[in-house]
Amino acid sequence: MKTNILYTHKDIVEKSKSGDRNSQYQLYELYVDAMYNVSMRILGIKEDAEDIVQDSFVDAFKNLKSFRYESTFGSWLKRIVINKSINLLKQKKIPVSSFEQHEYHVTEETNDELTAPLDIHKIKKGITILPDGYRQIINLYLIEGYDHIEISEILGIAISTSKSQYHRAKKKLIEIVNTL
Amino acid sequence: MDDFEKYISKNKHLFDDHRADKRKIWDAIESDLDKQKTIYLWKSPLLKVAATLLVLFGVFSIMQLYLNSNYNYNKQNSVAHQELQDIDSYYKNLVSFQVQLVKNNTRLQPENKKEFLSFMDELDEEYNTLRQEMTKNLNNEYILEAIVNNYKKRIELIENLLKQINESKNTNTNEGYIL
Repeated sequence: MKTNILYTHKDIVEKSKSGDRNSQYQLYELYVDAMYNVSMRILGIKEDAEDIVQDSFVDAFKNLKSFRYESTFGSWLKRIVINKSINLLKQKKIPVSSFEQHEYHVTEETNDELTAPLDIHKIKKGITILPDGYRQIINLYLIEGYDHIEISEILGIAISTSKSQYHRAKKKLIEIVNTL
Repeated sequence: MDDFEKYISKNKHLFDDHRADKRKIWDAIESDLDKQKTIYLWKSPLLKVAATLLVLFGVFSIMQLYLNSNYNYNKQNSVAHQELQDIDSYYKNLVSFQVQLVKNNTRLQPENKKEFLSFMDELDEEYNTLRQEMTKNLNNEYILEAIVNNYKKRIELIENLLKQINESKNTNTNEGYIL
C-alpha cells in the first residue's frame, strides 16, 4: 500500500523526467495550489510566494532525474518549497526560529489548556498573531506534518531546541486563542 | 498528540485558503525552462570547443583584415610621401639657390635685399608650420595646397626681384648707349 502512495502520478513523473512539457504542466496543475499555500504560510507575501513556487518547480523539473520515489513527488516538491521559503526568510533576516528572549516571556503560570471551544478560524487567526519564530515551528509541525528531526534539519536547529520551542509556541498559541 | 493538535492536523486542509495565479507562474516557469535548455546547449563540451574555435577564427580574421588594410595604407602612404618629399626638396633647392643668387648680387640695394630676405623669412616660418601640420595629417588637401602656394609666392618674389635687377641692368646699358 505504501509503495502505491510513493508511486502516485508515476507516469506523469516519468514523462516529465524526459522533458515532456505537457506532463510537466499536469504535475504543475496538480500541485501548484498546495505549494503556493505552503509558501504563503511561511512567507505571508503573495509575490515572494509566487517567486518561490516558480523557482521550486523549475528546480524540481531540472532535478527530476534524481527523484527515486523514496517519498511521494508531492512531499519531495514540498520540501523544496519549504527550504526555499525558509532561505528567503533568512536572507531577509526574519527569524525562522524563536529567540531565547521570547521564551522567557512565556511565564510558567501560563495555562496551556484550551478553555475556548475548538475553532479553526480562531486558531488560524492566532497563528498569524504568533511571533515569526513560533509561527514557523507551529506551521511545520502541525500543518505541514514534519517531525522534530525534519524540523531541526529545515531550520538548522537542534532536535531538542525544536521540541522545546514547539511546546512554547503551542502554549503561546493557546494563550492567544483563549483571548480571542 | 493532544486534542488541540489532533484538531488542527485533521483540519489542516482548511489552512489552504490561497489560490495561485496559475497562468502567471506557469509562464514564468516555462520561460525559465526554455532558458535553461539554451544554457544547456552551450554547456555541451563539443559546442564549447566549436564556439571557442569560431571566436578564435573570428578574431584572427579581423586581425588579418586590419593588418592588411594597415599595410596597404602604409604602402600607399609611403609612395605619396616619397613623391611629396621629392617635390619638396626640388623646390627647396630651387628657392635656396635663388636666395643665394639674390644675396650674392652686388647690384641690389641693401634695403631691397633686406626687405626681400625678411619676406623670405616670413614665408619660411609659414612653410615650417605647414610642414608640421602635414606630418600630422598627410591627406589634408588644404595644407598641401598652402605649401604649394607658399613656394609659388617665394618664386614669384624672386622672379620679381630678378626682373627688377634685369630692368636696372637694361636701363644702365641703354644709358651707356645714350652717352
